[in-house]
Amino acid sequence: MAETATARKARPPLLRDVRFLRVLGQAAFVVALVLVLREIFLNLQFGLERQGLDLEFEFLRQRAGFGIKEGISYNPNQSYIRAIQVGIVNTIRAAGVGIVLASVLGLVMGVARLSPNWLVRKLAQVYVEIFRNTPLAVQIFFWYFGVVLLLPAIEGGVSLWDVGFISNRGAAIPWPRSREGAGTWLLFLLAGILAAWVVRRWRTRVSDRTGRPHHRFLWAAGTFLAFGVFGYVVAGTPIGVDIPEATGRGYEGGFELSPEFAALLIGLVVYTGAFIAEIIRGSILAVEKGQKEAAEALGMAPRQQLRFVVLPQAMRIAIPPLNSQYLNLTKNSSLAVLIAYPDLLFVSRTIANQAGRATQVLLIAMGTYLTLSLIISFFMNLINRAVTRKGARR
Amino acid sequence: MTPEQESSAGDMEIVGAEVERGPDQMIVTQDVKKWFGGFHALKGISMTVRRGEVVVVMGPSGSGKSTLIRCVNRLERHDAGRIVVDGIELTDDIRNIERVRSEIGMVFQSFNLFPHLTVLDNVTLAPRNVRRWPKAKAEEKAMALLERVGIPEQAGKYPALLSGGQQQRVAIARALAMEPKIMLFDEPTSALDPEMIKEVLEVMEELARSGMTMIVVTHEVGFAKHAAHRVAFLDEGNLVEEAPPDTFFSNPQSDRTKLFLSQILI
Amino acid sequence: MAQDRAIRTELEGTVVIDEGLAVEVAPRKEPATPAEWVRENLFSSWFSTVLTVVLAAVIGYVGFGLIRWVFVAAEWQVFKANLRVYMIGRFPLEEAWRVWASVYLVSILAGLSWGVSRARLAWTRRKTALRAVLGALFLAALTYLIEGVTVWILLLGVAVACAAGFAAGRRTGRGALRWLAVAWLLAFPAVILLLRAFGGVPPQLWGGFMLNVILAVVAIFVSFPIGVLLALGRRSNLPVISAFCVGFIELVRGVPLFTLIILGFNILPLLLPPGMQLAVIVRMMIVFTLFSSAYVAEIVRGGLQGVHQGQYEAARAVGLSTTRMMGLIILPQALRNTIPAMISHFISLFKDTSLLTALAILEMLRAARRAAGQLQHLGSTKEALLAAAVIFWIVAFSMSRWSQRLERRLGVGER
Repeated sequence: MAETATARKARPPLLRDVRFLRVLGQAAFVVALVLVLREIFLNLQFGLERQGLDLEFEFLRQRAGFGIKEGISYNPNQSYIRAIQVGIVNTIRAAGVGIVLASVLGLVMGVARLSPNWLVRKLAQVYVEIFRNTPLAVQIFFWYFGVVLLLPAIEGGVSLWDVGFISNRGAAIPWPRSREGAGTWLLFLLAGILAAWVVRRWRTRVSDRTGRPHHRFLWAAGTFLAFGVFGYVVAGTPIGVDIPEATGRGYEGGFELSPEFAALLIGLVVYTGAFIAEIIRGSILAVEKGQKEAAEALGMAPRQQLRFVVLPQAMRIAIPPLNSQYLNLTKNSSLAVLIAYPDLLFVSRTIANQAGRATQVLLIAMGTYLTLSLIISFFMNLINRAVTRKGARR
Repeated sequence: MTPEQESSAGDMEIVGAEVERGPDQMIVTQDVKKWFGGFHALKGISMTVRRGEVVVVMGPSGSGKSTLIRCVNRLERHDAGRIVVDGIELTDDIRNIERVRSEIGMVFQSFNLFPHLTVLDNVTLAPRNVRRWPKAKAEEKAMALLERVGIPEQAGKYPALLSGGQQQRVAIARALAMEPKIMLFDEPTSALDPEMIKEVLEVMEELARSGMTMIVVTHEVGFAKHAAHRVAFLDEGNLVEEAPPDTFFSNPQSDRTKLFLSQILI
Repeated sequence: MAQDRAIRTELEGTVVIDEGLAVEVAPRKEPATPAEWVRENLFSSWFSTVLTVVLAAVIGYVGFGLIRWVFVAAEWQVFKANLRVYMIGRFPLEEAWRVWASVYLVSILAGLSWGVSRARLAWTRRKTALRAVLGALFLAALTYLIEGVTVWILLLGVAVACAAGFAAGRRTGRGALRWLAVAWLLAFPAVILLLRAFGGVPPQLWGGFMLNVILAVVAIFVSFPIGVLLALGRRSNLPVISAFCVGFIELVRGVPLFTLIILGFNILPLLLPPGMQLAVIVRMMIVFTLFSSAYVAEIVRGGLQGVHQGQYEAARAVGLSTTRMMGLIILPQALRNTIPAMISHFISLFKDTSLLTALAILEMLRAARRAAGQLQHLGSTKEALLAAAVIFWIVAFSMSRWSQRLERRLGVGER
């Protein structure tokens, strides 16, 4: 122990050195992987060549030449790129609306599953068990072929006081349309939001100082409303209503819902809603009973217990599994292919059938879905961080 | 030490032969350093444990005492310095690591019994799978050890059904089953209810009397006084003081040791 | 990283959802009389009363309409006439004995397992009544659907085989469990052999419900070891291996299964060495297996995270090598905790096999659509699809119930 200062570890022989072996093993893995991928790539090239195809993406600029029934403006003379854009927008539309509606339905059903009313509880349970345990594909077919398409034809369709229509051609309801002055009004609305925020802070501070109830939500909402109404008058009725009309083959004006979109949306919402209901229920139940009892011991009313103790904690538990349900819903929107709703995958498939470049088109589709998944995860992560930041234990 | 343990010394290859090593030096550490990220956990520990010696390591939490014994059986890799265990130096040599580990028994603060195996299977697992003993021999040995730690009747149970003290005694038996030359204890009684501490300490004292080489991280002053040959005091990654228990407790040299003792003895 | 968290809690989430807990929070006091129960559960407040009245009216109206439709208006002929297609697709009739033999094999094993596990059904009065009603409905449906005497005898045989297995299982000790596990493992290739080998039927002709089941079972069986390896790789401290596993898992989980199916259908043939050809169904087995392995990996990872760090240290401290440590200590504990999640995954895989309806594969959903398209059954679309939905539902629902029970049983005990 005299040579403490110079003590150095002995080096083992290279072939027995753990650190060297780790590097060696990984290098071998990489080499093997590269070889396999190269083989696959060569096969692909050979296969494509035999079919007279290539891996170029140039063809995307060619004329698409096929029609797309719904979505943003598009005509067959535009390029494949434009067609894919239409598909992406349609996918986002289905997924976005689906996520919002499924959350609402799931929240309602999840809370209903814990209702003190037996009938409500059982009904929610039956809903969950039925729709969770049948394939989404079957459900979408059922909504499409078994419900939507069996609605009365357009002549005999249901008319809601002559402003809304439902038939096997879809549905249409009145929808706001901006007129002149909408920009001015929008400015007023933005100012309203700002003012509402200020008022809300002011009420909070008043309440902190005096201990009186703040009613900050009512105050803020009132402020916003006042700005909105005032701005509406000043801008001179900037929003009109677009009332749909039945034409021979469909509807014109208003907000239209094609039969395909309707069936896909109902399917996605009802299916995912059942899963979300279970998440909501599980999260509320997972907040320990002790927490509720502690709140009770502090003399909180049941509503306060829910608002201040149970729900904030339940939210924290619910967000990660909700995220994966939202991702599932987005991915499941690709089942649109089954009923020819022109989403990204349906358009991609059409292009692949027409131009033969399945590889490229599929790569684009997969990349887009991956990106969408990442975006959703990113936003859910933001929310998650906002919720867990307060007193996270782990 | 039992005769069996003597004989299992085997044909160890001596890698660290150039380290000065008397015949009875079991553990030699020289200037051992360890970082966890930016945290300097061990700042150059040099110490020697002779055959049959019982060393108690004390120190405030975060002083590096656990890290030190975890480096000795390579649950942690030390970043600098040398550790030689029974003539085998701990390096990145894949052969030495497992060899050293089977020479050293370790007992953890939280027992770490395997919950999916019965007590008997916990004890026989390593002898059968590492030493390749036949089942009968391993079980015979295991029963003898369970007898030694005083709970042969629990052999068929699952760990979850045992009390903390019983679990820790099983853990000791499990470590002894590999016939180690050295036993490391990482705060073996810290997770126990007070009434169970005694039964575990008794087993450990018996083990110490039998001539086992032991390093024990603990706050049990009684055990240190009864069983230890030496007490080492660590603080902030440094070996501050090393002395026989009498001297250590009655006449500590450094101020930090005095402060520490004044806190734990009250 | 975002998905990391999602999964972890997703797994925890599945553990959270537990029937046992519901009992704790829902009104707990056992009401003494039926009148009290009704007051507490239906009319506890004015709001509750309104809900009860409105819902009862709606349920009565809809329920009556539904029952009338099911028993009077609906044309179930479409299902009855196509029963065989629903079940086995285009599987040749003269080879149907192969399917029956497989069914017998599985039912004997199922009976045995049931008997050995000593699982007892709770026979409360309510459950007994419910079971009687369901059983009667099921028998009635069978009576309506099945005409041939042979089929009846064969079905009876299935019940007898199951019961015999049960009786035999009761008699043996729990030590037989290990043998049973082996038997199940062997049953899987045995069924494939039974269908395929010795002048059997090529996969192209497999179809219907049978195909859905086979696909899901193949996928879960083959993907299980791959998934375990991926999970271990993902947690490995070798950066290259871990990056590869993360990449594969996240890629597969980030895209819809449908895109993978199209990949397998259109592009996979091009990736194979020239001259090598795989039947569509085999390609789909590969796709489902790879798809499933990513999800299995995440489930296993969740299980691995549940194993305490001390277990690794203890295993290493007694001198176990990495392989033995994983095989003897870590994986047995980790996998045990993943059983419920694994069953849920199997259920969703089983449901996902219906996606193959988009290809020209005659699985059950496509069989239903084909039946609905037949001239003589025009207008029976709802009935055709509902029949398929009910079969899917029965399998998925009973499995999820089973998994809940298992979960409760596993939850108690160790640790």
